Amino acid sequence: MNNYLDLSILEIHNLLKEKKIKPLDLVMEAFERIEEKKELNVFITLCKEEAIKKAKELEEKDVDNILFGIPVAIKDNISTKDIRTTCASKMLENYIPLYNATVIDKINEKNMIIIGKTNMDEFAMGSTSRTSYFGPPLNAVDKTRIAGGSSGGSASAVAAHLIPISLGSDTGGSIRQPASYNGIVGMKPTYGSISRYGLVAFASSLDQIGPMSRNVYENALFLNTLIGKDEKDLTTTDRVEDFTRYIGEDIKGMKIGVPEYFMKEDVNPEIKNHVEKIISMLKEHGATVEYITIDYIENAVTLYQIIAMGEASSNLARFDGIRYGYASGDREDLDMFYKKTRAEGFGEEVKRRIMVGSYLLSGENAEIYYNKALSIRDDIKKSFEKAFANYDLIIGPTTTTTAYKLTDDLDNPIKAFLDDILVIPVNMAGLPGMSIPIGKDETNLPIGLHIIGNFFEEAIMYKLAAFIETELKKIGEGK
Amino acid sequence: MNNLSEKDVKHVADLARIYIKEEEIPKYMVNLQSLLNEVDKIKDIKGYDDEMLITPVNHETIPRKDEMKETLTFQEVSYLAPKVSGNYIEVPVMIHE
Repeated sequence: MNNYLDLSILEIHNLLKEKKIKPLDLVMEAFERIEEKKELNVFITLCKEEAIKKAKELEEKDVDNILFGIPVAIKDNISTKDIRTTCASKMLENYIPLYNATVIDKINEKNMIIIGKTNMDEFAMGSTSRTSYFGPPLNAVDKTRIAGGSSGGSASAVAAHLIPISLGSDTGGSIRQPASYNGIVGMKPTYGSISRYGLVAFASSLDQIGPMSRNVYENALFLNTLIGKDEKDLTTTDRVEDFTRYIGEDIKGMKIGVPEYFMKEDVNPEIKNHVEKIISMLKEHGATVEYITIDYIENAVTLYQIIAMGEASSNLARFDGIRYGYASGDREDLDMFYKKTRAEGFGEEVKRRIMVGSYLLSGENAEIYYNKALSIRDDIKKSFEKAFANYDLIIGPTTTTTAYKLTDDLDNPIKAFLDDILVIPVNMAGLPGMSIPIGKDETNLPIGLHIIGNFFEEAIMYKLAAFIETELKKIGEGK
Repeated sequence: MNNLSEKDVKHVADLARIYIKEEEIPKYMVNLQSLLNEVDKIKDIKGYDDEMLITPVNHETIPRKDEMKETLTFQEVSYLAPKVSGNYIEVPVMIHE
C-alpha cells in the first residue's frame, strides 16, 4: 500500500499536479485503509463505485485547485444526491436523497472525491456517537474509548488517516468535542457562514456545518470553499474570504481572555495543566492573557437543553412514515400509525428528546421555558460581545475530560449534555469556535484547546491556532 | 418540577406522537424526570433582560422570489414513499366508519 494519505494536502496536490500520482491512487488507498481499519466503524455508507468513477473522470481534467482529487468524508446528516443519508437512524436507514446539500455542490465544484458517509449520534443527538443505529464508531487513538460526538465518525476517520479531511456538524459542540477526543482540528464557524441547506435539521438556530482536518492550515483551506451566501438558507452571509491569510504571523500584542468558568474545578487537572502551559507560552511570545467572566455562561447547558430539545421536537415532526423513511406495518389507524412509526424508527435518546421538547413547547410552557431561554441566550451573546470589545480571542479547554471508555455512563441521560459543557456557550451566541490538539494525558489520550473568536473572525482564530501548532511541533507536542 | 406520574408520561408521549408500551412507562418516568429536573433550573435564573435571541444572525433576511421553476416529478419522488398507489402516496385510514 502507498502512503500518500499520510502526506499533507499540499504535498498530495503537488504530486497530482506533477502527474506523479492520479486521483485513483488516493481513492484506492483510502478504501484499502478503511478495510484495514473497519473495526473503527466510522463509515455507515461507502461510495466506492462512485468514487472510482469520479477519480477516473478527473484524470481528463486539469488540477485547478488545491482540493482537486482530495478524498473527503461526509457526516451522514448531510444530504448527498443518490447516496444513502441515514442520520445514523433506523428512520432513514434506506433514505436516498434527491438533492445535494449546498456544501456537497461546493465540494463537487472543487472536484473533491466523496469516499463515504460517516457514523454519528442518531440525528446528531449525543456526545459519544453511541446512539448510532449502526453501532458506535471507535476512537482512532484508543479503540476501547468513545470517538465523541456527534461527529464521531468524521473525527475518527481523519485521525486514523483514512481520509485527509471531513465534514461534521455542530449544534452543541459536535465538531469540536470529537475533534478534541481524537486529536484533530475541528472548526464550527460563525452561525450563518455555511449554508445549512441539505443538513438534516436538529436545532435550526444552533446547527452549523464545519471542517475537520489533521492540521490548522488544511482546515482553513477547506473552510474557504464552504462559506458563502445561499438563497436556500436565509441565515447565510455574503462572504468570500481566505482564512489562511494570517497563518504564520506573529501573535505579539494579541489580547486573549480565559473565562474563569472554563478552568473550574471539574476540569481534569491534566487538561488544565496543558491549557496553563499554552497560556504561559502565549505570554512568552508577547500576547496578553487574562482571566475574564462571561455572564450566564454557567447556565448555557440548561438553555441548550431547552432550545435544542424544543427545536428538535419541531424539526423531527416531519418523520411520520408517509412520504419517506421508515413506516410501521400497523396501518389500521392514522394516529397510531404515526406513533408506532416514530416509536419503532427512532432510538431512545431521540425519543426522549422529542418527548421533553414537545412538553417544553406545549401551552404555557413555551413562555416558561423556551422564551425565557431565548432571553438569557441574548444576554450570553451580549456578554461575549462585551468581552470581545477588549479581547481578540477567548481560549480554554475543549472538554473537561479526555475520551472515556465506551461502556462508561451508558444509562445517564444527562451525561450527553455535560460532556459539552465547555463548548455549548459558543452555539448559544452563534460565535465561531474551534478545537486544536495541544498534547496528550498520561494515558496518551489527546487534549484539545478551545479557541473562540468574535463573529466572522475565523481568520484570527486560525492565526493563533497555527501559531500554537507550530510552537508545539518545535517541542514535539500537540499530536 | 413535581414528580412525573404515569399519566404525565403518557401525555408527553402523546404530544410527541410516540407510542410507548405500558412496560416502558417506568423507564420514561425516570429518564424524562431527570431531563425535566435539568431544564427546570431555568426557573432559578434571574437578572436577565427580556430581549430574545431568536437567531444569532444580524443581517436582514430577504426571502427569495416566489418563482415558478421546474420541480421533481411524482415518479422521481414516489420511490421514497413507503406506500404508493398509482399516482398517489398511500396513507393509512383517517376516518373509520
